[in-house]
Amino acid sequence: MEEIRIGVYICWCGTNIAKMVDVEDVARELSEMPDVVIAKDYKYMCSDPGQDLIIKDIKKHNLNRIVVSACSPRIHELTFRRTLENAGLNPYMFQMANIREQVSWVHDDRIKATKKAKALVAAAINRIKWHESLDKRTVSINPSTLVIGGGIAGITAALELADTGSQVFLVEKERKLGGNMAKIDLTFPYLNSAQQIINEKIDRIEHHPNIRIFRNTVIDEIFGYIGNFNSTIGQNGTEAELKFGNIIVATGLKSFDPSGIKNYGYGKLPDVITSLEFEQMLLNGKILTKEGKEPANVAIIHCVGSRNSDEHEYCSRTCCMSALKYANQLRSAIPEVNIYQAYADMRAFGKGCEELYCSTSRKDVMFLMFDQQKDLPVIMEAKADDSCKMVIEMNEKLSGERIEIPADLVILMVGLEAQDDAKELARSVGISMCGNSFFMEKHPKLDPVATTTSGVYVVGNCQAPKEIPDAISQAKAATARIMATIKQGEVEVEVITAEVNEDICCGCKTCIQVCPYTAITFDENNSVSVVNEAICKGCGTCGSACPTGAIRSRHFTDNQILSQIKGLMSKSLELNEL
Amino acid sequence: MIQRVNPNLKKDLLKLGVKDWNECFHCGNCTAICQLTEEDSLNPRKVFRQAQLGLKTSLQANISPWMCYYCGECSDTCPRDANPGELMMSLRRYLTSIYDWTGLSRLFYTNKFMEFAAILGLATIVILLFAIWGPPLDPTLTSEGGVKINSFAPIKWIELGDWSMAVVVAALLISNILNMFYKVIIKPGVKIPLSVYATELWKLPAHFATQAKFRKCDTKGKYYWGAHWMMMTGYTIMFILIVVFLPEFQVEEIYDWWHWQRLLGYYSTFGLLFGLIYVIIGRIKQNNQIFKFSHLSDWLFVIMLFMTTVSGIMLHLFRINGMPYATYYTYIAHIAILIPMICIEVPFSKWSHLAYRPFAIYFASLKKAASEKQYKTGLAAEIA
Ligand SMILES: Cc1cc2nc3c(=O)[nH]c(=O)nc-3n(C[C@H](O)[C@H](O)[C@H](O)COP(=O)(O)OP(=O)(O)OC[C@H]3O[C@@H](n4cnc5c(N)ncnc54)[C@H](O)[C@@H]3O)c2cc1C
Ligand code: SF4
Ligand code: SF4
Ligand code: SF4
Ligand code: SF4
Ligand code: SF4
Repeated sequence: MEEIRIGVYICWCGTNIAKMVDVEDVARELSEMPDVVIAKDYKYMCSDPGQDLIIKDIKKHNLNRIVVSACSPRIHELTFRRTLENAGLNPYMFQMANIREQVSWVHDDRIKATKKAKALVAAAINRIKWHESLDKRTVSINPSTLVIGGGIAGITAALELADTGSQVFLVEKERKLGGNMAKIDLTFPYLNSAQQIINEKIDRIEHHPNIRIFRNTVIDEIFGYIGNFNSTIGQNGTEAELKFGNIIVATGLKSFDPSGIKNYGYGKLPDVITSLEFEQMLLNGKILTKEGKEPANVAIIHCVGSRNSDEHEYCSRTCCMSALKYANQLRSAIPEVNIYQAYADMRAFGKGCEELYCSTSRKDVMFLMFDQQKDLPVIMEAKADDSCKMVIEMNEKLSGERIEIPADLVILMVGLEAQDDAKELARSVGISMCGNSFFMEKHPKLDPVATTTSGVYVVGNCQAPKEIPDAISQAKAATARIMATIKQGEVEVEVITAEVNEDICCGCKTCIQVCPYTAITFDENNSVSVVNEAICKGCGTCGSACPTGAIRSRHFTDNQILSQIKGLMSKSLELNEL
Repeated sequence: MIQRVNPNLKKDLLKLGVKDWNECFHCGNCTAICQLTEEDSLNPRKVFRQAQLGLKTSLQANISPWMCYYCGECSDTCPRDANPGELMMSLRRYLTSIYDWTGLSRLFYTNKFMEFAAILGLATIVILLFAIWGPPLDPTLTSEGGVKINSFAPIKWIELGDWSMAVVVAALLISNILNMFYKVIIKPGVKIPLSVYATELWKLPAHFATQAKFRKCDTKGKYYWGAHWMMMTGYTIMFILIVVFLPEFQVEEIYDWWHWQRLLGYYSTFGLLFGLIYVIIGRIKQNNQIFKFSHLSDWLFVIMLFMTTVSGIMLHLFRINGMPYATYYTYIAHIAILIPMICIEVPFSKWSHLAYRPFAIYFASLKKAASEKQYKTGLAAEIA
């Protein structure tokens, strides 16, 4: 075996790390560890001069393993792996120790923090001795794409891809395309017609030669992995076998059903309607109560089903501005109408939205604030001799008074929530859901369209509530990503995967049950489990579950983990003595 | 108590000068910055809210507008330019019109024509009274060379007129104050022990005389408080001289200038002139937040008081310099301005604040003392 020669680099991160960790001391002490050839500290390791320093040292000192102790590997592991490649080393001969997020940012005792940093770096040094070279793997890409959901996000993505000449399969659960956008009249903040925009797109998509639409259809099961997915789609009794390289999930969200909120009497009081039902009124061109009269008082209640521990804790994000949109539409349709907005907080971020709020507030709209957490308004039938049909009682927060609002029509700004079948869909495409049942993106900041499953993207509302322009941006971002892989013809796939030692595997199938990515199949002939490396994410679940130790997770071998722990303990024992 | 919101109240308030209706987004800056903010008695943001929602009962029970002396600090610093100070000003008009049970105040505030008509009507009556029943104009002079004013305007008749005017105006004002008391204390059900009414009573004359709150509020220029105080003392002294001491005041002798009668007269004339000129220049130049918006009623009041003062000065000069006809005609003019000014401005318009402000302070301290007392007895009971 070749001699192990480790280079260790301690980053200051400007003052981010250096203010709490004595980086020079760390470098000095760890340079004395066995197999460490050189240990240095530097102001910004990730900068070009920082990387050059590593490359030069690799050449000069013939280093074959590199430890960088800096920020989170989530941020810079790839950066430094590339540095190693540039110096001619295998990128997996690298290990990062996080002494920023895990040390300098969270501690306030410099001496202890420095000790902890030493322990983490020592662990990385111990671990890297067991690293082995791993080779990159690539798979070819089928240029077709499956788009699930025919709302504005799905339609946009389908058109973008199809216009480049690629084949698109669009699967829509309903008969009608367009999703929620097809059900609304005008769009905030500029009050443009939603119908005009969406109808033009629907028309185009229906006649596009590269798009095949499956209406009234849902996907049951999808097999395969990035570049090579396949699924059987049943439509009108016939079955179609589709093959595609990427998947865009654009299944949107559905409106919250307010029947369960007692205070609002939805379903019992005839003139309490949801925002979606009001959109229908607007589309029909007539704002009328159930009795067929023009309302003199219209109350709009915000946050119905949102921002409340009883229903959903999150903000549905589009309803505040929709409510203002309604105020404007009401004012122009019935100039004399009294408009009341019962709201919890006015959320008017985003382009044109604060402006919409300001201009609406000058249109004789009364804003009333209530406590959405514990004190919802109550809608009641008015007394027979009252001038209005209903009264809404509430504690108005800003005046501190108990008030009542007269109303003939009440619009509930219902929130958006996951589709009923979201969970099954998530399972069949192999993506996860967050606590709010939105589909999870790969990284909330750095990668908000991809998912942890390569080749699967989430766009539009199904990822989180958002307005139309954001849904469209996300759709276009996903198509750009897909087009890049189609153009390359092949993609690199994860090499940190599990492998089964067939000699030891007893065929118990434990691993098949636990794998969250359905990456393991069973080879009946040899009675052993087989890992499909293109699907495997290297999560390690199977490795820890396997009773015989037959599964080995590459880059997370037992030796690597155990020696890492050993390294950690060697220094942290000293920590306890403090 | 539950109150129904009322989008129509705003229409009323707009007529009384409220502007920038919806701008306020309740950041609370005005309440924080106001020197006079006090829980329960002055909270500009809360008043703004009650006005926005049209909570009539709360608004009418609220004395905040009277506790505000319009330093303008809140308007200067309001992030939305919602002008809370001006709202307070307009609400003083609103409250004046609400306390006034005759409805005339509202009529005058909202209808320029009626206000002018009332003023001119009263002035015409005064002129007609002199023209029809006035004694013949006596051109001869006294031995000192002064005009024989008492032959033209006999003390007993003028006194009779003065007193009847004072009684009518006082009756109106007192009934309005009782109405205010009902709206502020009785209707909201504030419980106040009788003893508290007595112990807090000193605040009424004290605040009337010193306007200490105004002083505290006047942060930018201390002069306005001074100018206002001089104007206030000026007309108070003059009012007492005219009504109570008319025989000593309206005399034919020409006293030496250091005589108390002349000195007092000069002081109040000077006080009035100084204050008025300060306000007039301010309103024209709009050099201070407080003068930025002038409602018609603000101008009318200032102009009439100014005309009364100037005609009073001329009257004095004509009399001591022996110019009989000029003296008599100026006298008629003086009274023809004075009577409508007092009869309309005091009970129905801007000048009513001379009574409402001290009473608001009195009511505020009643409430405060009562709640403190309640708190203390509650505490004592708890300890026992
Ligand atoms: C009342 C209301 C008013 C609004 N007003 C505005 C506005 O004025 N301006 C604005 O910017 N935004 C507005 N929005 C938000 C806007 O509707 C969304 O941003 C937009 O519709 C998101 O589009 P989407 O394609 O992601 O989802 P959706 O429009 O929800 O479309 C999803 C589609 O996927 C289909 N689908 C669902 N599950 C499956 C499945 N398993 N298989 C196949 N297909 C499936 C659905 O049938 C639907 O057609 C409003 C929303 C509502 C509810
Ligand atoms: S590598 Fe990370 S810790 Fe170091 S300078 Fe760059 S960002 Fe900061
Ligand atoms: S957007 Fe507004 S109405 Fe909708 S949930 Fe958020 S705060 Fe409530
Ligand atoms: S490492 Fe994870 S993804 Fe890979 S086969 Fe094992 S359990 Fe499945
Ligand atoms: S009036 Fe102005 S300062 Fe006062 S609460 Fe409203 S916005 Fe804020
Ligand atoms: S004008 Fe001055 S006294 Fe009146 S509310 Fe504003 S800050 Fe207070």
